[in-house]
Amino acid sequence: MKALALAFKLLFRDYRSGELSLLFLALIIAVTSVTAISLLADRLQQTMVTQAAEFLAADLVVNSTTPISADIVQMATGLNLQQAQSIEFTSVIMENEQLLLAGVKAVSNNYPLRGQLKTSLSDYATEQIQAHGPERNTVWVEKRILSALNLKLGEQLRIGEKALTISHVLTYEPDKRGDLYSLSPRAMLNTEDLAATQVIQPGSHIHYFWQFAGAPEALAQFKQQLKPLLNPSQKLMDIHEDRPEIGGALQRAERYLGLSSIVIVLIAGVTIAMSTRRYSERHLDTAALLRCLGSTQAQILTLFTWQIILLGVLASSVGCGLGWLLQDFLLHLLASLLPQKIAAPSLLSIVFGLLMGIIILLGFALPPLLQLRKVSALRVLRRDLEPLPASAWLVYGLAISLLSVLIWQYTHDLRMTATIGLSGVAGFVLLYALAYGLLTLLKPLLPKLSLAWRLSLQNLVQERSTSISQILAFSMALMVMQLSYTVKSDLIDNWQQQLPVQAPNHFALNIFPEQVHSVEQDIQLATQGNSHFYPIVRGRLTAINDVAVQRYVTKDSQGQQATERDLSLTWSESLPPDNTLVSGNWWQDKREGVVSVEQKLAENLGIKMGDRLTFTVGSEQFTAQVSSLRQVHWETMQPNFYMIFAPGNLERFAHTFLTSFYLAPAQKAFLNTLVKNYPSITVLEVDQILAQLKTILTQLTTTINYLFSLGVLAGFTVLFAAITASLDQRKHKSAIMRTLGANSRLLNTIHCIEFAGLGLISGILAVCLAESVTWVLYHFVMHLEYHSRVLLWVLIPLSASGVIAAAGYFGLLKVSQTTPMQILRSL
Amino acid sequence: MTRSHISETPTSLIEVRQLGKTVNTATGPIHILTDINLRINAGESLAIIGTSGSGKSTLLGLLAGLDLPSQGEVFIQQHALTTMDEDARAELRNQLIGFVFQAFQLLPGLTALENVMLPLELSHRADAEVVAAALLQRVGLGNRLTHTPKQLSGGEQQRVALARAFVTQPRILFADEPTGNLDRKTGAHIIDLLFELNAEQQTTLILVTHDVQLAQRCQHTITLEGGCML
Ligand SMILES: Nc1ncnc2c1ncn2[C@@H]1O[C@H](COP(=O)(O)OP(=O)(O)OP(=O)(O)O)[C@@H](O)[C@H]1O
Ligand SMILES: [Mg+2]
Repeated sequence: MKALALAFKLLFRDYRSGELSLLFLALIIAVTSVTAISLLADRLQQTMVTQAAEFLAADLVVNSTTPISADIVQMATGLNLQQAQSIEFTSVIMENEQLLLAGVKAVSNNYPLRGQLKTSLSDYATEQIQAHGPERNTVWVEKRILSALNLKLGEQLRIGEKALTISHVLTYEPDKRGDLYSLSPRAMLNTEDLAATQVIQPGSHIHYFWQFAGAPEALAQFKQQLKPLLNPSQKLMDIHEDRPEIGGALQRAERYLGLSSIVIVLIAGVTIAMSTRRYSERHLDTAALLRCLGSTQAQILTLFTWQIILLGVLASSVGCGLGWLLQDFLLHLLASLLPQKIAAPSLLSIVFGLLMGIIILLGFALPPLLQLRKVSALRVLRRDLEPLPASAWLVYGLAISLLSVLIWQYTHDLRMTATIGLSGVAGFVLLYALAYGLLTLLKPLLPKLSLAWRLSLQNLVQERSTSISQILAFSMALMVMQLSYTVKSDLIDNWQQQLPVQAPNHFALNIFPEQVHSVEQDIQLATQGNSHFYPIVRGRLTAINDVAVQRYVTKDSQGQQATERDLSLTWSESLPPDNTLVSGNWWQDKREGVVSVEQKLAENLGIKMGDRLTFTVGSEQFTAQVSSLRQVHWETMQPNFYMIFAPGNLERFAHTFLTSFYLAPAQKAFLNTLVKNYPSITVLEVDQILAQLKTILTQLTTTINYLFSLGVLAGFTVLFAAITASLDQRKHKSAIMRTLGANSRLLNTIHCIEFAGLGLISGILAVCLAESVTWVLYHFVMHLEYHSRVLLWVLIPLSASGVIAAAGYFGLLKVSQTTPMQILRSL
Repeated sequence: MTRSHISETPTSLIEVRQLGKTVNTATGPIHILTDINLRINAGESLAIIGTSGSGKSTLLGLLAGLDLPSQGEVFIQQHALTTMDEDARAELRNQLIGFVFQAFQLLPGLTALENVMLPLELSHRADAEVVAAALLQRVGLGNRLTHTPKQLSGGEQQRVALARAFVTQPRILFADEPTGNLDRKTGAHIIDLLFELNAEQQTTLILVTHDVQLAQRCQHTITLEGGCML
């Protein structure tokens, strides 16, 4: 207790003398940014999870072709989970002598558990939000049903044997999927009316969706107990598999959030470490004096530990408060883009900054003080110190490991933490070696240079350890900025690619060859755009290298799904624009009996280049050799194919065509014309899904831009902390040089060269490090395509050099305006 | 002001008129020096003595143009220091003045040789290395040229500082308690060296000390007490 009181007193004296202000400021800035980002990341991530749940209309969904067992329902009830069901099937509806294939969906009273339905009462009425689906005896339909069947609101629609009153036009349903069942125009009714329709007969093709929602713990427990009970026809759905176009984007955004947090924590760590070193070096004297005054090493350590904890708690609390305000402000800025309800933050993310501040402070302030143990007080005063003792390295190691565990605990992303951690450490060692080597290389050049150059480079070379620690800090900061920028831009690019403006949002299938020409003309007339027609032959993959394909299939895999039903086989002269070849060549001299296979499917079925694939079309069998593997972006929601043949192989089989085109909302009436003119054609509408996706991607993009700015801000903080930390030493040097007669021009030139040099070296190293981390990250974690940005290779070193030189120049400008005596007395 | 001293051209190498220094602190202004008047001719030596805190270092700094007075004027070779800017004073120091600090103040990153070469390099002397090495030889450090200050003892560091002060052959040498941080024997050695070099180069010497015996080796002595000359 006495130690605490003394610690407090000494700390207060330090504060009064202004000793603390820099460390205090650095701590506050670091903790503020970490708290803000961790709160923001946590809340956004939780919000994303809730939002993801909306796309399933529940937290957890079991998809089944038969009703699920009562046990499961009971188990969910026991765990206090909310439950709802929806049942989907296609049914032909006939009204006013018109026929229409509709996607019927019967929903229970509490559907949807997450998200909302939207309806309108006419073409022009505004949308209304509906918490639940249709009442008994009513049906909600998409507008296209009304126009195709010449119906109006309030009239009767007969589904099977049951007549229902059309009460609302359905405009939005949260869990609308991009598969065939949900893409026929929707008619939604209440499950209680389902029996009366009598459409469900044994053997009908029906999908049951059992939906559950509740507390995360209960859900986790439910999921665990549920898994072994499911039979092969029942599947647990999750957002990543069920809605890949959204799941993929959300996953990457989550990763970016994680990346930003890790990166900002790292950089805040460097900031605190830099300022702490200066602080504890300045306190070596105090420690030595206390030794002279009779304190034991243990007493001194206790005293300083208390002092540091006090300081850490004080500054970190302030930082925590400021961080809270900052994230609140950011969320406020984002308000129009985010869902109304933002999740509350978790406890860990609130205290995360606080913990981190104290851990890093202790980790970096104590080792220099540990040095004192075996050293006489006099040698401390003369700074004649030995290398750090083993226990100091232990403290550093402990601090870094603790930090890693904290980050991992916090991001729950072991892979990302490990990737960044390991490549970071490797990069750090490499950087150190490179910086050391570069400075050593400079040495023999020195005598050949002019005075200003020689003096400035001499400073860098002679005080190598100081220079290196500065270079490390600078490059870390720059690296982080570059990393945030690269990943951000690539993500946003990727999303924009996924969703170009006017991306086709409607598909037309089953177009007969003789209709192609007139359909093409009709579409062109209505949309003013060209559309591509893909021929389709329905066929099955039956054998690979003459071995039945079933031997290759693993249960529940993509391969199983692809081989159990007919595939859409197509042929094409050119490689479709969204596709990229990963091996082999596009058609060259051999065009007969060759096929290009989608890479993921190939992987799944073990198909390799040159393999012989056997296909069955109708009653005929034929083989083709794999001549290339393609990567396909399924998440773009454009026509894509597992198997593409060279022209000339499939034409002899019966085939139809598929096309896709863009329709603005006002042009939707064209669909009715199309269906009326060509009754055989099936139209799929993906516009709602694309619009939903677009909203999400815009939200994610904006969020990520804010996170990026935070990252850059943090980067600059480190830069300036590192510059400030080195100013004392440089001021002292300048004062002596002035005494010896150096003029201000020389001093300013020296400072500029010195800082510009540091900036240049740091910039180069930062680019190398950032590019390697990006590559590792893209390759192993984010699955983005890596491409090097040549401009950054030039821009980063040059601008780093400029910015650091300017900051150093202005930081030291006062030196040339004050007398040497004043400077020496002030240090 | 009773006399219009600005018009009077000083004739001595150093002339100090009504010099005063006041600093403002949180607890009010402190008068560190008041009404100091001095004349020092070329080749003379002067010792400034006084108790600790009496303002000796402050005065020396003002004389060397390392700081600016609050009142009065310092002339060196007819140049009024207060009318010059910081760069002009630096230029003057480079040409006329050597300074030895109590705490050595060597540049830690440079070797002994580089430290001594520095003032010569600042005035663009091509023979810097030769001259500096010779002078280090003269102070007995010929075999320590490539050592950095950290590798030298206190006495050795002060000898490097002496060499650095004398290497430009300054007309005036200021030394602020050059032996204050050294033991008696080493201190005596440094002082002998200082006077030897002084005699060799015919330098004007201004020395701060609280050692009366040392003061007696100078031609003149002034005593400061609470910022005033006695
Ligand atoms: N910038 C300043 N702010 C406040 N006080 C100052 C400042 N500069 C000098 N002093 C005070 O002026 C007085 C004279 O200082 P100076 O360093 O000249 O003393 P000194 O005679 O050299 O003492 P010593 O023999 O101990 O070196 C001291 O009391 C010192 O604290
Ligand atoms: Mg003094």
